Amino acid sequence: MNKKEIFTGIAVITFICGLSGYLLAQVYKTTKPKIEAIKRIEEEKLNKEIFPEAVKFEEKEINGIKYLSVLNSNNEEIGKIFEVKTLGYGGYIYLKVGIDKENKIKKVKIKEHNETPGLGAKITQDSFLNQFIGKTKENIYLKKDKSNGRIDAITGATVSSRAIVDGIRKLLEDIGEKIN
Amino acid sequence: MLNESNLFFIFLSAFLINNILLIRFLGLCSFIGISTNIKSSIGMGIAVIFVTVMACSISWAVYNLLLVPFHLEYLRTTTFILTIASFVQFEEMIIRKKLPTLYRAFGIYLPLITTNCAILASAFLGIDYKFSFIQNVFFSLGISVGYCFVIIVFAAIREEIEIAPISESFKGVPIAFIIAALMSLAFLGFKGLFKL
Amino acid sequence: MKKLIDFKVFLKGIWKENPILFIMLGLCPVLAVSSSVKDALGMGIAVIFVLTGSNFVISSIKKIVPSYVRIPVYIVVIATFVTITDYTLAAFSPQIHRNLGVYLPLIVVNCIILGRAEGFASKNNILNSILDGLGMGIGFSLIIFVIASIREIIGNGTFLSRSILGVSYNPFLIMIMPPGAFLVIGLLIALKQRIEKGGKEKC
Repeated sequence: MNKKEIFTGIAVITFICGLSGYLLAQVYKTTKPKIEAIKRIEEEKLNKEIFPEAVKFEEKEINGIKYLSVLNSNNEEIGKIFEVKTLGYGGYIYLKVGIDKENKIKKVKIKEHNETPGLGAKITQDSFLNQFIGKTKENIYLKKDKSNGRIDAITGATVSSRAIVDGIRKLLEDIGEKIN
Repeated sequence: MLNESNLFFIFLSAFLINNILLIRFLGLCSFIGISTNIKSSIGMGIAVIFVTVMACSISWAVYNLLLVPFHLEYLRTTTFILTIASFVQFEEMIIRKKLPTLYRAFGIYLPLITTNCAILASAFLGIDYKFSFIQNVFFSLGISVGYCFVIIVFAAIREEIEIAPISESFKGVPIAFIIAALMSLAFLGFKGLFKL
Repeated sequence: MKKLIDFKVFLKGIWKENPILFIMLGLCPVLAVSSSVKDALGMGIAVIFVLTGSNFVISSIKKIVPSYVRIPVYIVVIATFVTITDYTLAAFSPQIHRNLGVYLPLIVVNCIILGRAEGFASKNNILNSILDGLGMGIGFSLIIFVIASIREIIGNGTFLSRSILGVSYNPFLIMIMPPGAFLVIGLLIALKQRIEKGGKEKC
């Protein structure tokens, strides 16, 4: 290999890398605002499904618990949205739990999960999640686990159902101790 | 998904629950190609453990010490593949010079590893899960031990299948996939391990 | 002298040299994202784009790249296209982007792409290289589409998320879980071997 060949090699590779870097920087710059906007919209959509009458959401923190304060058009707090992380069958399940002013559950939504398709994945269905509406922490047990439990587990997905029940009950207990 | 900080948990999860070959389907080209006999599978498996742990540590350092401070995250794919490719080359040269016996044992598998997507994947996943350096080492160790374990067991089964009377159409690769399906089914059972 | 445009180049990727069934390269994404037809189509389009793009660029720069640096140069070109696809998909179809996950950036080590760059684009003219990229990409997409259709219909009773087998159908769940992927591709390759042998079967 002579000097000239080595030189062309270095020149070509530097040129290609530079061009690639420049192109990617441009692509990144154009797509970044769009990607972030989409993330915000999805997050907002989920929050709005929990509190359809909400106008504004503010991030707040009390005693180490982070939550979203939900405000209506008169700028009054009508509830809070908490994020809960709980260990299911196939990894963590991320939930959003809406709590109204009386500390009762307004609505529960699944943000992210990795449960078995067709079985555990049924946790996202309303027929399961709507059972939590209006419940207090005393009732949030699976019916088969405790006599005052009011939640029906999904057939064939007890582990996933129990994970959600436990996660939500723990959240309500934390709220009871630390916020009120 | 996987932000449990327990190192043993990370290792086990990468090794069994999310086995790189059977559950995540990565590194399949070498898996199907090499696993026809046990000896070469062992060689490949060990080479993969070695390279994955080293390559993941280096990529982790490149990403967190070089790309993040300069806000160049979008160069991730390009830099990782180049880092891994040049690292494998470099390693091959060193092993050939310093450890000739080791080189004779599994040196021929090193070039094959560059295009093994399992390694690049573990580098990406380690970043995606936002692991610390030590967690990343255990994660990559879990992935590569999982690869090594499965490829050796698989090769042992395939050696037996070679002499079994099977239908013409299924000879070779198809039957290998069917075995992989059954093994994958067995590994699905590890999913509930979280509750132990 | 080869023809300037040769349509056989395009057609061979679809069946005769189909990257999945015949050369068995780039299997990982085929198995990993074929549990739903929608994701499979996303993956197919991403691969077609990267393959055609990198074939085009590599074929146009083949004369100025000295042979001893060609592999790193190809890798950089491919990685650039992959990253562009990654960010574009994230901006326009976040759902598919999330489902493809780590398998999208992993297109960069997909053996089909480097294989076509080295084996075809570096030796042929630009037009034929584009055709080769399209053909191979479509061949890849067809197989991933077929596998995903089988898995989604049997394993979930749906096609493109629309129920087609009715509510009374009890889905064969294992098909959309990892073992189903191995099973379907194993059976497909067995079928291909049978067709090749002209159905003459002996046990």
